[in-house]
Amino acid sequence: MEFKKVLVPVVGSEADGEAMKLACRLAKKDKGKVWAVSVVAIKRVLPLDAEIDSEIRSAEDVLDSVESVAEEEDYEVETDVLQAREVGPAIVDEAVERGVDIILMGITYKRRFGQFNLGNVVPYVLKNSPCPVILYQQ
Amino acid sequence: MYIIVVGGGRLGYYLLKALLNEGHEVLVLEKDVRVCKTITDELGSVCFRGDGCEASTLAEVGTGRADMLVAVTGDDEDNLVACQVAKHKHNVPRTIARLRNPQNAALFKKLGVDVTISTTDIIIETIEREVPTHPLTQLMSLDEKGLVIVDVKISTESTTVGKMVKELSLPKESKLALIIPHEGSTHVPAANTVLRAGDQIIAVTSPETKEALRAALRGI
Repeated sequence: MEFKKVLVPVVGSEADGEAMKLACRLAKKDKGKVWAVSVVAIKRVLPLDAEIDSEIRSAEDVLDSVESVAEEEDYEVETDVLQAREVGPAIVDEAVERGVDIILMGITYKRRFGQFNLGNVVPYVLKNSPCPVILYQQ
Repeated sequence: MYIIVVGGGRLGYYLLKALLNEGHEVLVLEKDVRVCKTITDELGSVCFRGDGCEASTLAEVGTGRADMLVAVTGDDEDNLVACQVAKHKHNVPRTIARLRNPQNAALFKKLGVDVTISTTDIIIETIEREVPTHPLTQLMSLDEKGLVIVDVKISTESTTVGKMVKELSLPKESKLALIIPHEGSTHVPAANTVLRAGDQIIAVTSPETKEALRAALRGI
């Protein structure tokens, strides 16, 4: 399997850095490209192109931190902030648009009502992704 | 334009698809989780599960910035409530409600719904248009102005054939806009324009004086 185009959605969790490291290592072999994206979910009370400075700033901070992880790995990545109504569909759309070979997501262990829970985004991406997905659990 | 469609049934679904194709930002509000899932699976995040009659749901989906709300559920009562909440609480500029019972039209208008659409009325209008012998066809309703645009056909039996427009006793609210003759080019009627058999007259009138206009133009 080739890793020419790797998409790494990040949310600011502890697993993001490790996922980025792994993405860089995988892409390095094939001299592939790595994109890190952070999705800002816009509530419907606002238009989709509304600029929420605080949200955008925190998304940029998250991207800066994974960019520095990539620098440590001596690899160059592209970063992008996306605005969407829902995170899952935005990631899948981005994967389709860029024609990526793999989506690499870092997740943390979360419990809901006492049980392990993946939330909404990961199951959506697993179900609808046009390419293989690697989940890295911290 | 941001358009909210209340009701994700067949009508709502096809309306949603058509509006999305036109490039509008559209959101369907649907109570049924299965219907909502089907729409989301096919068209993406354009369906919100919730009751379109509830003010809190409408607030959550940003009704305050909506340009239009179209209520197309199968219940006239739900459609009325959704339109009223949108109109009076969120100041939506235009509300459209689907009617199952055409008799509710007057009530809906009185309660602030901008446009009502009744399937029964649409079918009747189509029948009127498709039946060539029907003397008067309503072409369009200008609800805000309380006017309708009608098409009146002058037949050979009409007693007004050969009379001039100034000789006709037209209702006060009525204005003749255009004459489409059986042969020749269309023209704007003047006081001394003579009516001929086969003429089609496009006129603006009030719904109440439609029949009086028909009688004045046809004389029978």
